[in-house]
Amino acid sequence: MRYRALNDVRVIDLTHHLAGPYATKLLGDLGAEVIKVEPPWGDAERRAGPYRKGAEDAERGGLFAFLNQNKFGVTLNLRHDRGRELLLGLLADADILVENFAPATLPGLGLAPATLIEKFPRLSVVSISNFGQDGPERDGLLNDLTLFARGGWTFPVGEPNREPLTPPGSLAQYVGALYGAIGAMQALTARDLGLGRGQHVDISLLEATVATMIYETVTFQYSGIVRERAGKRFAIGPFMIVTLKCKDGYAGLQMVTDKQFEGLCDLLGRPEMFRDARFHTALERMRNNDALLEIVEKFFLEHERAWLYREGQSRAIPLVPIPSVAEVLEWEQTKARNYFETIEDPVLGAIRVPGTPLKLTSHRAEPARPAPRLGEHNREILGARLGVNAGELERLRAAGTI
Amino acid sequence: MNSPLDGKVRALDLSMGWAGPLVGQMLAEMGAEVIKVEDTRRFDWWRGSLSMGPPEAQPIERASVFNTANRGKLGVTLDLNSARGIELVKRLVKMSDVLIENYSPGVMDRFGLSYATLGAINSRLIMVSMPSFGSNGPECNARGYGNTVEAMAGVTGLNGYHDNEQRYTLSNALGDPVAGLHGALVVLAALRERARTGRGQLVEIAQVEAAIPLVAGAILEYQFSGEVPRPRGNRHPRYAPHGVYRCAGDDACQPGHPWLAIAAETDQQWRAVADALGLAHLAADARFSDASQRKVNEDALDAELSRALATMSADDAAHRLAAAGVYVAPVHSAAAVLADAHLASRGYFVAIDRAVVGTHLYPGAVARLSATPLSADAPAPLLGEHNRAVLGGMLGMSEAEIGELEQSGVIGTRPRDDRGATR
Repeated sequence: MRYRALNDVRVIDLTHHLAGPYATKLLGDLGAEVIKVEPPWGDAERRAGPYRKGAEDAERGGLFAFLNQNKFGVTLNLRHDRGRELLLGLLADADILVENFAPATLPGLGLAPATLIEKFPRLSVVSISNFGQDGPERDGLLNDLTLFARGGWTFPVGEPNREPLTPPGSLAQYVGALYGAIGAMQALTARDLGLGRGQHVDISLLEATVATMIYETVTFQYSGIVRERAGKRFAIGPFMIVTLKCKDGYAGLQMVTDKQFEGLCDLLGRPEMFRDARFHTALERMRNNDALLEIVEKFFLEHERAWLYREGQSRAIPLVPIPSVAEVLEWEQTKARNYFETIEDPVLGAIRVPGTPLKLTSHRAEPARPAPRLGEHNREILGARLGVNAGELERLRAAGTI
Repeated sequence: MNSPLDGKVRALDLSMGWAGPLVGQMLAEMGAEVIKVEDTRRFDWWRGSLSMGPPEAQPIERASVFNTANRGKLGVTLDLNSARGIELVKRLVKMSDVLIENYSPGVMDRFGLSYATLGAINSRLIMVSMPSFGSNGPECNARGYGNTVEAMAGVTGLNGYHDNEQRYTLSNALGDPVAGLHGALVVLAALRERARTGRGQLVEIAQVEAAIPLVAGAILEYQFSGEVPRPRGNRHPRYAPHGVYRCAGDDACQPGHPWLAIAAETDQQWRAVADALGLAHLAADARFSDASQRKVNEDALDAELSRALATMSADDAAHRLAAAGVYVAPVHSAAAVLADAHLASRGYFVAIDRAVVGTHLYPGAVARLSATPLSADAPAPLLGEHNRAVLGGMLGMSEAEIGELEQSGVIGTRPRDDRGATR
């Protein structure tokens, strides 16, 4: 979907892979005009899959198609003088530049954020990088595995007697992307509410990851206790947050309040347990967490997910089945809300992708535009907007600039 | 000009837990005046339970998570089940730009605080509603918090070791901050739209819908392959080594927890791993000669690396691997994150002195804005701490009126139990 809330905002998108492109997708979904600038050999994410079977050499994979909806696509080789010149042409009337190069890359091309902001006073530059724009490890390597580990998400998860468990996929990079999109809006808001000029926004993926580790760093200082791996339990605390095997898969329980505990006792068919001295207060439930777990675990094993979900929820307990992504795609709730969108991708065909989580009511959203082919809008943007004529476009193509 | 929203935006935060409160916290970082409204009987559940300590210890003022997610806000109490309380909310709405709530669907309506009502009082109001699963649909009334929302988004189903069936909830209730970040983003977008149109609006964010895009890759993989993706644990679908390994002894930052995450994407990086760890024989081993061989023989590869690393110091191995251009990181506990030298060099954590608990370090603002830096260093309010400032200063109520509200229990600074007795 695509809203118009930001239809007066122009974004130049120099990002690649995931965190940068998702940041600019969020802005594009809200209506900003996003011009994605790729090198002539394309964003590496185009080759990252997943692919349709038998189409592994397609121009792009599915994740690229998802991350780059609602964007225009041009190619520019920034190592060429004319490539940089054309980028400056695009920046002249842009509000936001988003980039996720290694911090030394843009300065090395003579395009340091500070220089760009000086040249174009209304422009803000959002830089999303692994470790931020300064500090001893500024130029260090990071991937999903090491980002989760370093940022504190991995340590408390998994079985106490084996290795800590890394979260799936690139979750933390999406979090960094959200901070990037918000950072762009923060700079824009500051400019238009009085500052009158743009600024540089520095987003460190590591810091975004630490910011979302449920404030564990603060909890540790308050209590002096390091949260250790607690197996199927989220932690051992005055609650029961746990992932349990049931007859036909797994279910998740998040019992926190006294009222929820009362509901849980009822679900278990043991209403008297609510008065049991071992469990009556949150503090007692923490002290006797193992005993409580044993009771709940046994009960879940004897029941099916759907039954537990229905009966738990009817007692106002946050208790859910743990669906696979296939089940999420077919979930009645997402269907009733028309959440997934089918996009006709020019390369991949019809694919179902997550829709926008933001439901604005001021106006109707339009369908999303599919991700651009490599250089799809060169003529439209570089030609019509920057006045590069057909002859020069041809020469630039031959020279490898576009 | 230091804080872009200072004196320009006022937000009412009626939310609890993390998802909603994070929106207000981020607006406060930009200088907005954020008024957190709690009920003395149904105070924010992230404050924890009264039973966690004796009343004189003020247990609900000692919750690390509440005290972090509500920084920079003014704290007001109002009994939302009283006509007087609701009337005061409406008076505050009249003077506000933003209202944030994350109740279950229908609760705001029952309070008489639907968007239809509030938008009629203040057409410039931007109301952000954050129900777990949305306000419509067959399962909209299901309860969900961060972990359960994360499960329904498909995240938990992907989280497990590569070699067993158990699923694990993430360490951080991810559904919450992800929804909250979407909330902060959309408030800024709606403020911009309002500057153009003069009108506010209702925005709904179903928390689960904010988290589903984070597994878009797996959703597409399923569509293309027809196979349900299963957990990969610490492994990667295409390359190896990619895992978490135990080293000897103690990590300097992290006594007793010497785990290292190590990955090599290319053959060259793999050879660098072997060289850096003094394992030249592994680099020459035909079982590990290229990525596809290393994937086929990954169990053997992990066993070899585990055996070797078990005798090495984690610090030393990490330094050598980093110098060799390999992906490596210590698996940090919260204590180790606090001691991280790189984070410290960037001044990431900020010290805040908060009543009842004293001074601690808190996570700073993530976005570093060069001209209008965010400020994340104001403490979270005590229950009802700013009743007088807000009701008197902002709404112009007299001391007698405020006293009367206290007498009748509409406002208060002490929590009350279900029978209404103060604790």
